[in-house]
Amino acid sequence: MEFAFDAREDSLRREVQAFIAEELTAAIREDIDAGELGVQFGPIATAFFDKVRARGWTGVSWPVEYGGQGRTAMDQFIIEEEFGRAGLRIGGAGTGAPAILASGTEEQKRAFVPGCIRGDIIFAQGYSEPGCGTDLAGIQCRATRVGDTYVIRGQKTFMTSAHVATHIFLMVRTDPASRRHAGLSILLVPIDAAGITIRPLWTIQNDPVAPRGTTYGENRTNEVFFDDVVVPASCLLGEEGDGWNVAQRGLSIDRVGARRYLMSVLRDEDIVNWLKKDEAPNRALRADPVVRDKVAELWIEGQVCRLLTMRSMTIARRGGDFVHEASAEKVFAPEHGVRATEAIGQILGPHAQLLSSSPEAVEEGVFAHNLLGAFQSTINHGSVQVMRDQIARKGLGLPRPGKRGETV
Amino acid sequence: MDVLPDEDEAAIQATAEDFLAAECTPALVRAAERDAARWSPALFARIAELGWLRLCLPEEDGGDGLPLTHLAVLFDVLGRHLAPVPMHGTMVGAITLARCGTPAQRAILPAVGRGEARIALAIQEADGSWSADALALRGRREGDGIILDGAKSFVDGFRESTHAIAAFLLDGAPALALLESDAPGLSATDLVTTAKDSSASLVFDGVRVPASRIIAGAAPLRLLMDLAAAFLAAQMAGAARRATERAADYAKDRVAFGQPIGAFQAIQHMAADMLIGAEGAQLLAREAIWRLGEGLPATVEAAQAKAFANEKCLAACRSAQQIHGGIGFIEVHDQQLWYRRVAAWAHRCGTAREHRRTVAAALLDQQGPVRLDVPLVAE
Ligand SMILES: Cc1cc2nc3c(=O)[nH]c(=O)nc-3n(C[C@H](O)[C@H](O)[C@H](O)COP(=O)(O)OP(=O)(O)OC[C@H]3O[C@@H](n4cnc5c(N)ncnc54)[C@H](O)[C@@H]3O)c2cc1C
Repeated sequence: MEFAFDAREDSLRREVQAFIAEELTAAIREDIDAGELGVQFGPIATAFFDKVRARGWTGVSWPVEYGGQGRTAMDQFIIEEEFGRAGLRIGGAGTGAPAILASGTEEQKRAFVPGCIRGDIIFAQGYSEPGCGTDLAGIQCRATRVGDTYVIRGQKTFMTSAHVATHIFLMVRTDPASRRHAGLSILLVPIDAAGITIRPLWTIQNDPVAPRGTTYGENRTNEVFFDDVVVPASCLLGEEGDGWNVAQRGLSIDRVGARRYLMSVLRDEDIVNWLKKDEAPNRALRADPVVRDKVAELWIEGQVCRLLTMRSMTIARRGGDFVHEASAEKVFAPEHGVRATEAIGQILGPHAQLLSSSPEAVEEGVFAHNLLGAFQSTINHGSVQVMRDQIARKGLGLPRPGKRGETV
Repeated sequence: MDVLPDEDEAAIQATAEDFLAAECTPALVRAAERDAARWSPALFARIAELGWLRLCLPEEDGGDGLPLTHLAVLFDVLGRHLAPVPMHGTMVGAITLARCGTPAQRAILPAVGRGEARIALAIQEADGSWSADALALRGRREGDGIILDGAKSFVDGFRESTHAIAAFLLDGAPALALLESDAPGLSATDLVTTAKDSSASLVFDGVRVPASRIIAGAAPLRLLMDLAAAFLAAQMAGAARRATERAADYAKDRVAFGQPIGAFQAIQHMAADMLIGAEGAQLLAREAIWRLGEGLPATVEAAQAKAFANEKCLAACRSAQQIHGGIGFIEVHDQQLWYRRVAAWAHRCGTAREHRRTVAAALLDQQGPVRLDVPLVAE
């Protein structure tokens, strides 16, 4: 056991912190905030991200031959964590690149991965449909093989970055006779293919919009319709019919990492640092034994989130032999984020309901916007209910439930 | 950063698990409870033969000089099997002596390594506070020694101890005294706890301790209390994990409404939370113990571990009772052994409230912003 970063990792962290302190000016921040979802911005921010890339801080753990840096996953974690703390999303977690690296052809890796790293290829994730989300075995969106093409027909929903993406990482049913996970495939679909219609779904963070640092602060997601969209057969990722496994390989990489960790714990730091402000109301609250006890309780849970994340990083470094550990992190951390959000509201009192546009909002309304968003983190990327099933079945060997009405 | 056992630690863990699974059966735990002595001298002798007591003692004191993380995995396994042996007080005391003691005080360590010297910790007093600020036992100087007058309570494992380390006030400041358990003027009354192991109240009536047996200063007491909280949290995590595994095994067999109860999602989700609680406590305890081993400040980490373990490990063991239904309440069924012990351990070496007070002070009463990954240092 070794509960510390090594000297090289510590110095990398300091280097990134120094870079951010020096280079991330207010003008750049404004330019980034004016963009969409941290991916579309003006020339000032673009120049800043060029500098970030020049340092080799994107695609950190991906192979050199595809434009990455070939460094450790922990280096990537440290860099993403420091940028995440500054309110910026960099790196490439959550893009299609990990899945393409795992299952793609040589041609696909060369076509997509360097672009994902440069930021000029952006994937939207097209899994959820009106009829299914948690249980993707219910996918109905169809792709039919016609000669050298696939013809796609159907509907996706909650496709968050569709309106800024260049491509869709699309899960479709290629075998109409198949059931459940068999017969699903992944297609890498250009967003400008004829027959794709994107319609906004506005979230409860839209009016007013959430400040930077809000958990699930997205103001918009999308419905996407496919009306006989024709794409070349070379868009297929992995084997036809193996889409479920292809997606799993990408997802498991996405589940561990700095972004989800920060999402769950940053507000533990926020409330402590806010209580430490040298102003009368803050002083009074931080002297209250009830507040002190609750804040310490949240802090300890935050430490558990950190350690569960470090355990996942350890397992990943040792070869990725996960049993239930990623699921454990995926239950405890988001639920902690929700507990913290709600407890902080009770500490702050009526101010905690004030949104970003309100007079007297605390910290630009971030605590109120967290109340609107934090619970979403227990639903996406595998809901906590399904994650608990995984822990019980894989971690403790409990049996799958019998079919309805069926007795064992 | 690698938060899992390395090869050596894993090897010791596996050996310890094999040994205790075979030797430390529920029947042995029950026998120790019924015996007047309330511990198993035979098991402790075997443990001493295996060298566990020597493992993390310095080489110059007859030990193997391995990092303290080896004890972290051992306490986990001892907790899994509820081993009725005085490892906790003995190891906490011995490591405190190894770190802070004079050569004369360290002279007892080879005997600790052989299992011949066993140490009980006398920290808390009648009010039960786990705090250096609550000491009332007083020492007054007389000749080349100290005379102790006062009382201690919640002295676990006193019956089986050969020595005790008592915290007391010397000229208004904390100090530790290493004394023989049969020192003249020292008398003990047994307490009866939910664990039904040995715990006692002590009266010090003019107990004389030579000056060479005194360790003055707040730092040694701080170290001793941090070790005590962290080791006990590790032991609780092991017990909670095993209680969870046992409950899962029971749930695979027990049938209700035509299914094994373990197929019901309500049971599965409870079991998942039990496992997460035990694992969280284990990680917190291991981090605290690693820091203690590295000589880093660890008061906050030990407090975090014990506060979390007190609530989550007890909850895991209580949920294990829930999964067992009515039989969990019946004495002849073994599951209650885990519940009763963890229920006692959750009240030793500091409550959640007391430990969170330590964490809150480190968070809120010092200058400067906090970050989750930057350790806090208690004042
Ligand atoms: C802001 C936002 C962004 C999103 N971005 C994307 C995106 O980019 N791409 C994409 O594909 N999707 C996206 N989603 C969709 C998201 O992945 C789904 O909402 C999620 O998977 C849940 O699916 P669902 O909404 O259909 O709920 P359902 O699957 O209907 O679940 C409803 C409830 O039932 C519970 N449940 C389901 N199965 C079980 C079970 N076996 N046992 C117990 N309880 C169960 C769930 O836990 C949940 O609480 C996004 C959603 C939001 C809100």
